[in-house]
Order: sequence, then C-alpha cells, then structure tokens
Amino acid sequence: MLIAEPDEMTSHKNNAFSSGFRLLWRRQGVLWWIFAVNLLCGALGTVPGFLRLQHALGHSLAGQPLTNRFDLGMLAELFRLPDVSLVRYTTNSYLFAFIFFVFILFVTGGILESYRADRRLTTGEFFAASGAYFWRFVRLLLLSIIPFVIVIMIYQALDKAADRIGDRAIADQAGIFLGWGAMLIFLLLALAVRLWFDMAQVRAVAHNERRMWRNTWRAWRITWHGFGRLYGMYFVIALVGWIMLAIGLVIWAQLPATATGAVFIILELIMLAQIATRLWQLAGAMSWYQAHAEILAPPVEATATPMPLETAPAAAGAANVVYPPQDAAAVEPPPAEAPEPPSTDPGPELPPADA
Amino acid sequence: MQSCRMLCLVAMVLLGSLIAPAQSPFAPKVTGPLSQRVVAYHIDANYDPPKHTVEATETLTYHNLTGQPLDTFPFHLYLNAFQPKSTWMHEAHRDGSFRSSSLAHWKPEDYGSNVVSSFQVDGMGDLTSQMKFISPDDGNPDDKTVFQVKLPRPVAPGQDVTFRIKFKATFPEVIARTGYKRTFLLAGQWFPKVGVWWHGQWNCHQFHALTEFFADFGTFDVNITLPKDYVIGASGVQVGEHDNGNGTKTVAFHAEDIHDFAWTADPNFKVVENTFSGSVGPVRIRLLTYDSHKQAWDPYIYCVQYTMKRFDDWYGPYPYAQITVVDPPHGAGEAGGMEYPTFITGDSGWFIPKGIHLVDFVTEHEFGHQYWYGMVATNEFENGWLDEGINSYTEVKVLDNVWGENTSLINLLGAQLGEREEQRLGFVDVEDRDPLSKMSFQDMSIDTYGGITYGKTASMLITLEKIVGEPTLKNALHVYFMRYRFTHPTTEDFVRTVNEVAGQDLSWYWNQAVYGTEVFDYEVLRADSQPVRWWDENLKEKRGETEYETQVILHRKGDFIFPVDAVVKFENGESTREHWDGKERWVRYVYRKKAQVLSVQIDPDYAVTMDRDYLNNSQTKYVQPGAVHKIATYWLFLTQFMAQILSWLV
Repeated sequence: MLIAEPDEMTSHKNNAFSSGFRLLWRRQGVLWWIFAVNLLCGALGTVPGFLRLQHALGHSLAGQPLTNRFDLGMLAELFRLPDVSLVRYTTNSYLFAFIFFVFILFVTGGILESYRADRRLTTGEFFAASGAYFWRFVRLLLLSIIPFVIVIMIYQALDKAADRIGDRAIADQAGIFLGWGAMLIFLLLALAVRLWFDMAQVRAVAHNERRMWRNTWRAWRITWHGFGRLYGMYFVIALVGWIMLAIGLVIWAQLPATATGAVFIILELIMLAQIATRLWQLAGAMSWYQAHAEILAPPVEATATPMPLETAPAAAGAANVVYPPQDAAAVEPPPAEAPEPPSTDPGPELPPADA
Repeated sequence: MQSCRMLCLVAMVLLGSLIAPAQSPFAPKVTGPLSQRVVAYHIDANYDPPKHTVEATETLTYHNLTGQPLDTFPFHLYLNAFQPKSTWMHEAHRDGSFRSSSLAHWKPEDYGSNVVSSFQVDGMGDLTSQMKFISPDDGNPDDKTVFQVKLPRPVAPGQDVTFRIKFKATFPEVIARTGYKRTFLLAGQWFPKVGVWWHGQWNCHQFHALTEFFADFGTFDVNITLPKDYVIGASGVQVGEHDNGNGTKTVAFHAEDIHDFAWTADPNFKVVENTFSGSVGPVRIRLLTYDSHKQAWDPYIYCVQYTMKRFDDWYGPYPYAQITVVDPPHGAGEAGGMEYPTFITGDSGWFIPKGIHLVDFVTEHEFGHQYWYGMVATNEFENGWLDEGINSYTEVKVLDNVWGENTSLINLLGAQLGEREEQRLGFVDVEDRDPLSKMSFQDMSIDTYGGITYGKTASMLITLEKIVGEPTLKNALHVYFMRYRFTHPTTEDFVRTVNEVAGQDLSWYWNQAVYGTEVFDYEVLRADSQPVRWWDENLKEKRGETEYETQVILHRKGDFIFPVDAVVKFENGESTREHWDGKERWVRYVYRKKAQVLSVQIDPDYAVTMDRDYLNNSQTKYVQPGAVHKIATYWLFLTQFMAQILSWLV
C-alpha cells in the first residue's frame, strides 16, 4: 500500500479541507436532498402534536401568553393537562428521528458514490449505489459500536472521577470544569472513531470492498497514518458547525417573540449548516482518500445489470472503479502495483563555482 | 462531689464572662420581652468536626404557664429520624424521595442521632432511667424522635422546673435541612427540645417527612466550642468569643423571644455584612457564603433588603438586631432553603444566569418565614399551610412587585415564568386530595403536602383578592401578624381575622378553599351566533347589516363555586362584561346584535389562579394560530436536530 509522503500530505491536507468543501458545493444537490428529507421527517414527527395543539389552542385565547412572549407556565400547562398531554406526542418525534437515521444509513452509499464519481448521479444510480452498500454499512455500524462503547466507558470513568474530585473540592467549579473536561475528551474521542469509520465507508465505496472486518482494519491503518491531518480537518469542520450553531442562536435570541416566521428560517438555516458540515466531513474524507491513499484497484468486470458507470476524467491517483454490480460475485482486484521507488540518480553535476 | 461543684462554679464564672450581652438581640427601637417566655435554654456545646458530632450540656428552665400542674414532659430528638426504621425515613422512602435526596439506598453517612446520656431535674434527681420513647402519631416502636419523662412530683402552675440534659448529637451528611458536607455543618434540630402545651394538652409530634416543627418561645444562650479556624453563624447575636488556647475557641450567642436555635460553621466561609434600615432601626444582615459564589453575594443582600422593606411596610417590623443568611456550599443543597428564627439558608451556585431569580426565589421565601413561622409561630405539624402557604402568597406579592408579574422567576432569552403561575402549577394536579385544614403530617404524600400547603394556599389567597380586594387582604395579613405574633394561632384565628378585616362572612369561600377539596374549573361551553332570520331561504348575510342572536354558555365543570367575570367581544368592536355568581351549573347569555361574537373569555385578568384549566376558559370564532405555530416551529427544529444527532452515528 502506497501512502503519500508527509510533504505531499501537507499540501494535500489543505486540499482535502478545501477540496472537500468544493466537492460539497459542486454536489450540493446531495445537501439539499438530505435537508429536505430531514425537514420532512421533522414535520412528520411534529404533525400529531401540532394537530393536538390546534385542537387545544386553536380557538382559545389561552395561547396569548405564548404568542406575545414565551410563557413557560402556559407551556407546562400544555404538557400537564390530561386532555392535551403533549408528552404522548413526543414519541412521534423519536420515531421519525430514528427513521431519518435509517434513511441516512441507507443513502450514505449513494452520497459517497456521488462524491467519489464527482458527478450528478441519476436517481436510479444513487439509490442503486445506496442499496448496494447498505448491508455493508450496517455491518460497519455494528462494528463501530465496539469502539463507541469503549469511548463511552472512558467518559463514564472520567465523569465519575470528576464527580468524586468535585464532591471533595471546596469550590463548585472544580467538579464542573472537570466534568466539562471529561465531556470534551469524550467528544474528541468520538470524533476520532467517527473519522475512522467514515474512512472505512469511503474505502468500501472506493474499492467495492465487501469484507468489512478487513476494511475496518485497513481503514484504521489509513486513518492512523494520516491521523494528524485528517483529524485536524474533521475537528475544524466540526468547530465550524458549532460556531454556526452559536451564531444562529445569537441571532435567534435577538428576534422578537412574535416573529415566528423569522425564527423558523433561522432554525432551518441552523439545521442546514449542521447537515452541511457533516457532509463536508464525508466529502473531505473522500477527497483525501482519493488524493493520498493506496493505489486503487483497476476496474472490476461487471457481470450483470445495471450498466457500468463511466467515471469523470480522473485527477492523479483518482479511483477508477466500475460501479459494483448487484449480483456479481466478488472479484478480487489484482494486487496494487508497487510504486516506483524514489530515484537515486543524483542529477546533473552542478557547474563549478566561479573562481 | 465538692471538687465537682467547685469545678462547676469556676466554669460558670468563666463562661459567665462570655455571656455579657453587650449587644442587644433586638433592633434599636425594640425592647423585650416580646413573647410569653415559656422556655430558657442554656447550652454548652462542643463540636468535633472530623466526627460530625456535638457533645453538649443543656439546661432548660421551663416556666409552667399552663395553669395546671404538669408531671409529664415530652421532648423532641429530631436527629433520631435519620435512622432506617424511623417514621421519617419510612415516609420519605415510601414517597420515593425527599427534596433532592432519592433515598433509594441506605448509606452509613445518612445516619444521624441524638443520644441523651443523662437527664436530671433540679430537686428531683437523676431521671435518666425514666426516659421512655413514645410514638404518639403512628405507634412506630422504632421511632425515637420523641421521648417522655414522668416527674416524681408535678410542677405547680406558675412554677419553674429546670432540666439538665447531657446529650450527643451525631449529624448525617446533609439531609432534610441539617447535616455536614465536607467541612460545612448546618446544625438544625440538634438539641433536645421540649414539646408545646397547646389547647390543654402536650403537642409533641414525631418527626415526619412531610412536615416541620413546633416549639415555644423563650430565650437561648448557647456557647459553642469549635476549632479556632472555623467561622460560625447562629440564631440571635454573638455576644462573646474566647480563645481556649488549645486550638479551639468558644463563641457565645444570645437570643430572646425565638423558639428555635440553629447554627452553622465552616472554615471556608466568607462573611459579607450589610444593613437594612427599617421602621425600628437598622438591622444587621450577615451573609455566610463562599468565594466561588461571588456572583450571588449582591443578589443575596439585595433580596434580603427589598424583602425586609416590603414586609416592614406591608405587615410589620422585624424586631431583631440581626438576620443571618447562610449560602450552603455545593453539594449541600439539602441544607438550603430553610428557616430558623433570625437565621435562614438560601441557595445559589457558582454561575446563575441573569434572568433566573433562583437566589431571590429561595431567600425571599426563607426570610418571609421570619414572619410566618418565626414570629407567628403556627403548628407546622398540623397547620403547615398557615406558614408555608401564607408565606408562598407573600412571596408572590414581593417578587411580583420587584421583578414583574410574568417574569418574577424566569426572564431569560424570551422565556418567562411568574411566581404565581409556578405556585398554581404546583397544586392543580393535587387539589382534590387533601384539604388545607387536615393535619399536615397526615397528608397523602410529600408531593401532596407540597402542592397543597404551598401552591394551593398561595393560589387560594390570590383568588380571594378578587372578592375582598388586594389592599384589604394585605391589611388583613398586617392585622393577623400584629395580633398573633409571638403566639401560636390556628386556622380559625386566621380565617376570623380575614373575615373581620374584610367586613364580610367568607365562610362560603373558606369551606371550599380551606376545609374542602372542591376542584375549581370553569369553561366556556358554547359561544356562537346564528342569524335571527335563520329560516329565511333568501337571507344573504351581510356584515354590519344582518342581525344575529349570539348564545354564550358558561359552565362550572368543577365543584368549587365562585363568582367569575366573562368578557364577550363582538365583531363590531363592542364588548360586554358579565358577572356570574357560579352557583348554578351553567348560565346562558343571549345577545341580539348586528354582529357576530368574536370571543368569550372567563377571567380575562387571570386573577383566578385556582382554576385548574386555563385552556377551556375562552373560545374564539377565528383560529388563533400564533401559539400553535410557535410551539410547532420549535418542536420541528428539536425533532430535526435529534434526527441529525442520531444520524451522526452512521
């Protein structure tokens, strides 16, 4: 496996960060599409509660304290009264949040294929790619539980220690800050695990890899070798997401209580930014992989429909993989060609210095 | 024996030098006595911080003012409640939690006790063996929070009897308003306390999880020996301090015309002092707090000052020289939010966003108890609502006056919550369980007790303003305070006073609000308009020209009968206010106008806080989308956000 030399990686890091953004921008149809589904799932999760509210408040003046300001007492009333009991309707929100989760699990293959090919896929191609990789990504998801559980256990241990130290300290801040520190460590570790498995997904798509254990291991090696740059890219993108969330909330806090329309727009822009940063990470990972990682296998022979995709003219090192046929037997790609070793030729003799 | 007497004499002389009440326990313009001083406590206590124990000798002189001979005396030993088989622990565990303690498991540090090693009576000898634990409320043989001693001969009316009690108090880790946390100690209910002779018999209940305390007025002289580096605060005023030369000091406190004595100590306390100048002169405010709570210092002082000002103006003067405010350290929240005479505990933290009035909410309430409990010393076992409830009502009045009716508790990023709504929400779900007049310790559960005594009383009194007017009710409370301070009034005393000041018989109201469990709920059952000439097939309805008959039906859904107002608005801008006495189950109003009804609203001023359901108090012709759309917008966002967070796992 050829890994690019560190010097090359430095420039490629900047490229992956910005090329990932450019890829996201070029393929922004994916972003809008995911956002639309997210909005739809949110709406479907909200509708039953909305209808219940409509029934309870639609022809009542009791909602005025909520319209003109945001009275928590009246909000509590809506959750408290057995006739309204909004708590019941939160189940729908959980359900559609889960449905969205399953949806993303399904379409991640299509998203990555779209980024890999760097062209607009037809609907059929997109969903075919999604379907082709779905069960592999389910297996990857199950595999990822192991490191995530380890990270959670680390967090719980740190948090418990923070609690114990905080309980013994005189000042409140000790326990609180240690707790925040434990949470920060948890988030950073979780980000690393996410990066690793994103790389596994990227590699699975790039290589039409079917063996997820092997894929996970190879993705680990790839991630480890490029960890600094990759993690830095992921971290910065995540930070951008948090900053955009903070900016959105600051703007939201300035809006008047009655400006429901403006609130809706701001909150949806916040959601769009959150989804965009996540897709940016995936796009960045794909860009980095195409620029840095092992020389990818030559095209696999297609044995059945659908018709193979032709890829766009590839940049140096870009993959050249045929779209995985749905019922084809797995074909082992020929081994990667070893790269040319660096030249030992010292080059032309330098002219002697002027006397 | 003689050497023992000599030692006692020397000790008395030495200690006497501590107790030179250089500072009066009263405000400058006040002289005592203010109460019938039934008891005089003199306690010498030795605090051992590593063991969390206090070993003490208590000399209690009881003045028999009952008018009859007494030969049996019951005493409270409240700290014995913190044992697994006590009545308190049984009730708290039964109800699932107590304040912030879950009580799911027993831990050794939960253990507390008060053990009497010697009980002597002047002129009657050692009666330690005569001590018998009793359980007058539930017969629990394992509950040791009350003991009784029968004297060999009675104490005649008008005579005194002196008890000399040696005891050891072991404090639990903070629970139920008392205990330790790290180096902090809040010593509440720590000494043997004699019961109250009330209504012809002893009133000395076991310690219950639901309720608090009851004791007689008297004087307190307490000397506490503790490590030199500890900062100490207590009820009353400090009158002396002596370095014992062995790493400890003895601090002397004196208080008059109070009925309980609490104290606190921690080497890490920071002392912040200020004053309030009221109608009887300046009162010292002494705040014991922490460096990490610096953000809360000013709010504490400000809150105490504005509360004292309003109580002074509205109800009567605070007669004592000092109020001590304790800000518990983190992890000791169970010691917070409590009142003792001239000594209160608050609640804060290292960071409380501006707009959340937590410090005010707790501090105002606890200071209010100086009036309703501290001076008007009702029986908290039996009539919890007379102190907690009236105090919750005055809390609403004070906080609304300072912070605004809709924002008195929370005003942050557009979210608002008023104190009166908070009180209402606390009780509407439990209002049909127990009447206020029921013995509080027998209420169904801790939740019911909390909802009824605090929330229902506050809401009941706010609703009463609609009948008698706010100024009249304020005056009634002023009269009640001035008349019954330093005594033990009852429900009937309060009710009678309000009737008297209001100049009307309000028994129809008290019977429901105090003695009953009727549920208060009025609704607009129907509000619609039909053309008068509804039979006319050629009728073409025209705004402003067609005559309509409007029907409005108001319905009393609950059993609580109360007069309500309803405002009916029409499309032509007209509006009419109806007043219904609520006696029948429903009432119909009919109008004939060239306009249709636009809206009907019962209690448009939101003055009737006892109504358990605000949603059915109005009807409108047209859809009111504002609130629905707003809530749905946030709900949508939260669902989307949750979905996105979940998808991050993929």
